[in-house]
Amino acid sequence: MFDYRRFALGKIAQVGPRFLPFADVASDTVPLSRLLRLSLFQVTVGMALVLLVGTLNRVMIVELRVPATLVAIMLALPLVFAPFRALIGYKSDTFRSALGLRRAPFIFKGTMLQFGGFAIMPFALLVLSGYDQAADAPRWIGLSAAALAFLLVGAGVHIVQTVGLALATDLVPEEDQPKVVGLMYVMLLVGMIISAFVFGALLENYTPGRLIQVIQGCAVVTILLNGIAIWKQEARDRTRAAAPRTDMPFLQAWGRLSARPGMIRLLAVIALGTAGFGMADVLLEPFGGQVLAMSVAETTRLTVVLASGSLLGFALASVWLQRGAAPVSMALLGAVLGAPAFLLMIVAAGMTATPLLVIATLLAGFGAGLFGHGTLTATMRAAPRDQIGLALGAWGAVQTTAAGLAIALGGVIRDLLLTDTTAASAYAPVFALEAGLLLLALLVAWPLRQAGPIGAAVGLVKPAGTPILSETQVRRAALHKA
Amino acid sequence: MSNDPNKVWPTGLTLAEAEEVHSYLIDGTRVFGVIALIAHLLVAVTTPWLG
Repeated sequence: MFDYRRFALGKIAQVGPRFLPFADVASDTVPLSRLLRLSLFQVTVGMALVLLVGTLNRVMIVELRVPATLVAIMLALPLVFAPFRALIGYKSDTFRSALGLRRAPFIFKGTMLQFGGFAIMPFALLVLSGYDQAADAPRWIGLSAAALAFLLVGAGVHIVQTVGLALATDLVPEEDQPKVVGLMYVMLLVGMIISAFVFGALLENYTPGRLIQVIQGCAVVTILLNGIAIWKQEARDRTRAAAPRTDMPFLQAWGRLSARPGMIRLLAVIALGTAGFGMADVLLEPFGGQVLAMSVAETTRLTVVLASGSLLGFALASVWLQRGAAPVSMALLGAVLGAPAFLLMIVAAGMTATPLLVIATLLAGFGAGLFGHGTLTATMRAAPRDQIGLALGAWGAVQTTAAGLAIALGGVIRDLLLTDTTAASAYAPVFALEAGLLLLALLVAWPLRQAGPIGAAVGLVKPAGTPILSETQVRRAALHKA
Repeated sequence: MSNDPNKVWPTGLTLAEAEEVHSYLIDGTRVFGVIALIAHLLVAVTTPWLG
């Protein structure tokens, strides 16, 4: 008799693993299509950033009439979690899993937090603004619910970005890392640009119902894109699962990482440079409007110019690094270009020359692109293979904190000076400060140029026993010198 | 189907691996449950239903 039961079980057993979200075997080569798919998580990160910092910033103040100070505090809440990125990375490095997974579970949890935050955010904001019957509700409900929503989204973004970057670093060989870094940055920018347009179009005629639709739609898109991004990316690893647990405490692991020559210096460079470039992000548009009397459409185009410059920087940095340039020289070049760009902005304000400002903006964006790409690639290269999560967590912690503090500081300095001087002289000190920070970054980064694990060109820091340079790399290096 | 006693039907995962996959499902259900609860509470505050 036909054994239908055995037949069915056999069929299901064949089909089963296809529906599990992790790969069965690690592949040596990762095709570009798969990297593109992985980089979708950066799109959701960009989307969350735009929604929080751009769209909701405005909606809360203008449409929901929440006091601006409260909005600023709420939006700054996720920054509180930024230093924990190092801890998140460490946790994922040492994660104990029967499947031998390290990254996918964290991305799953981070995505859940992001989704959860977006799911309750519109209602929390409506309660906070006292919409309908919520006006009678006690104040603390709206406050704590909104704070919870922003914290959840912030924590989710921190986890997804840190662990996602670590996964990307895990997947590709060292010589392909510049490609991945470029891809990740570009996808972040693409996500931000697209979602800014979409949110703007959707919220043109604001209604509370529309706000709920947009934010919750954002939640669904987040889970979909992140799901597609990590589907079957990480291979399960039975040897890692079976390996005896070596519990290195966080401080010891951090000590090991920071003891690597140049690591602390690199993080300092990242902090200084990110602060220098980041300050302009929010001040460029009001600067164009107040000092050079540009219209809203023109200042928006100024931001587009800045982003285009960055895209150009990422693209060129990818190409140059792929050809064997050292990541640190790339970061140095970015700072060298960025410092005069900000001085040029001051000059442009003095001469009220808009074309000069556009050129300076493009140059600043280009420098920021080179700098960002160079420092992230340097961090990836500098990390030991078993501490990639921790290293990228440290990168994220330093980068996010520096950018956040810089934006806040830039705004405060501008506002303080704006009260008793003309607009032009209120912005000049901020731009001078940015140029100063970049010069400082340049000084700190200078010693890193000497061949060390960080300044070195491709492939010089492989652990003992593996070939130091592959044949193609040797050829590339020879070409580069010639 | 394999004859390895550690492997569980039908995916060929070991028991520990299957339990881990299951734990993610449980975690997800719990988190989404709590989120749904909070969302309902907030909506009830804004536009009360049931009286």
